[in-house]
Amino acid sequence: MTGMRLWWSTCPKCLKAFVVAWELRHAKRKLICPFCDHRYLPEQSAAVDERHAD
Amino acid sequence: MQRDARKATNTAPQASRRGPGRARAPKSLASYLDLIRGDPAEFRTVSRTVNPLNFDVTGLLGVLNQRREYPTVQFNKPLDLHGKPSKFPLVTNLWATRERCAEAIGLARSEAGARLGSLLCERIDRKLKPVVVGSKAAPVQENVLTGKKADLFIFPAVRHFEMDLGAVLTMGMIAKPPGEDFYNITFVKAFPEAAQRAGLTVHTLHMSRILREFEGRKARCPVAYVLGHHPAFWLGTLNNTPWGDNEYATCGGFLQEPVRLAPSVTWGKDFLVPADAEIVIEGEIDPGERTVVNPFGDITTQYQAQQLGPVMEVKAITYRNGALFQDVFSGHREHMLLGSIPREGTIFNHLRNKLGNVLGVHMPYSGCARYTAYVSIRKTEEGQAKTAGLQALAHVPNLYAVVVVDQDIDPFDEEQVLWAVNFQVESRRDITIIENMRAPNDPRALGSARVIIDATRPTHIAFPTRLKVPQPAMDRVKLGEWLDPVKGGAR
Repeated sequence: MTGMRLWWSTCPKCLKAFVVAWELRHAKRKLICPFCDHRYLPEQSAAVDERHAD
Repeated sequence: MQRDARKATNTAPQASRRGPGRARAPKSLASYLDLIRGDPAEFRTVSRTVNPLNFDVTGLLGVLNQRREYPTVQFNKPLDLHGKPSKFPLVTNLWATRERCAEAIGLARSEAGARLGSLLCERIDRKLKPVVVGSKAAPVQENVLTGKKADLFIFPAVRHFEMDLGAVLTMGMIAKPPGEDFYNITFVKAFPEAAQRAGLTVHTLHMSRILREFEGRKARCPVAYVLGHHPAFWLGTLNNTPWGDNEYATCGGFLQEPVRLAPSVTWGKDFLVPADAEIVIEGEIDPGERTVVNPFGDITTQYQAQQLGPVMEVKAITYRNGALFQDVFSGHREHMLLGSIPREGTIFNHLRNKLGNVLGVHMPYSGCARYTAYVSIRKTEEGQAKTAGLQALAHVPNLYAVVVVDQDIDPFDEEQVLWAVNFQVESRRDITIIENMRAPNDPRALGSARVIIDATRPTHIAFPTRLKVPQPAMDRVKLGEWLDPVKGGAR
């Protein structure tokens, strides 16, 4: 399994979800919500979906 | 010729500007648009004010796409990223038909069919050494903005899809490796995040290698981001040429005239920029710095995930009088054809040279014209289809799947190809999965396996053949004579 791993973050402000590369899951970098421009750390996500292929 | 073209440039006499009794002006985006301007099927204009940041541009293109209409569209009054009227009209959907791609490199529209990729690839070997002109002879430097005036927000950059991070510049970036004298030109997305700063996403092996080499030296990488040039210039950038090729020379072969270059405003003769471009952003990429880019709706018609990308700091913006701002309607026909036609030719030529039995290569829209190839071969023995598939996968690393068919199947007719998959494939034998073949850019999150489907007719067992009406019977039919006239009009 060497394909790009993805996850979904739900913005804590507008509650819309968007797709993120795994490199940003624990990178301590703020995500930018493409819907409302809110900037937040991954652990502040309202929800996350980390399911991936085995 | 090829070796010479890889090296630097000639200093040539200044090309004449357009005028009576003078030599023809160098090819440009505007000169190309003049060729299609009179045909409403090929070129349309929008004179009402549009806001590209609010999906006005892709909204119109989306409606045309649903109607299966693919004209180039010029928006004459777009707003810029400040929300003010932009001085740059916006041109998009340039490559959305095979016919326009053919015409752009001087071929007839009738040559837009199966052989177009191969004809395109012949241009790779017709490299023309670029020529250097002075800044005064470079239209792209008729206007020069530096310092705070070099503002990315003056452009009518397009936000394409609802989950896009924001407006994106979708054209090409030029760079050369440290200490080398050849240029690479690659389509790179640039997300303006401040007046003099944009995040980038880079997906090609050569441009990534250049950036790594600068990072290894902890040196800033000079780049020129080009917003608009003749379509043949861009088609010349999309071929699978080896490291070390000067892509300015390749572009000259596609343009059928040498690319004119001018010393950049920022680095002078140490970095040359295309003199006949519409707009050039001169910038530098800081080694090691990363910013957040994406999501962006890309070629797979899915969103690329939010990720980290390098940062371009703007040093200067130059543009010609009356400059046009060019955009690619990503994830749609022009984006697909822009890459698929050169790759079809690349695979065809490679298989022809290696195996000699290839008859046609098509990268269908269903594979977003990048990830699947239908290859027809003249098969004489078992195993040849798998060999052709392996060669194709090895040569074009982005491919996920190769379907190989016989000579009686038209690879450009997907219905025929899928018939062959349905009725000539024994799944346990004819589908080969190759593990751990990672593509440089695999957005699917599905893994790294690739697949070859041998859909050729088995020759090692007794096997049915396709039904066929005798050709002589079809040849003797004259429809107008044989069918009775319709009385009272069509029923």
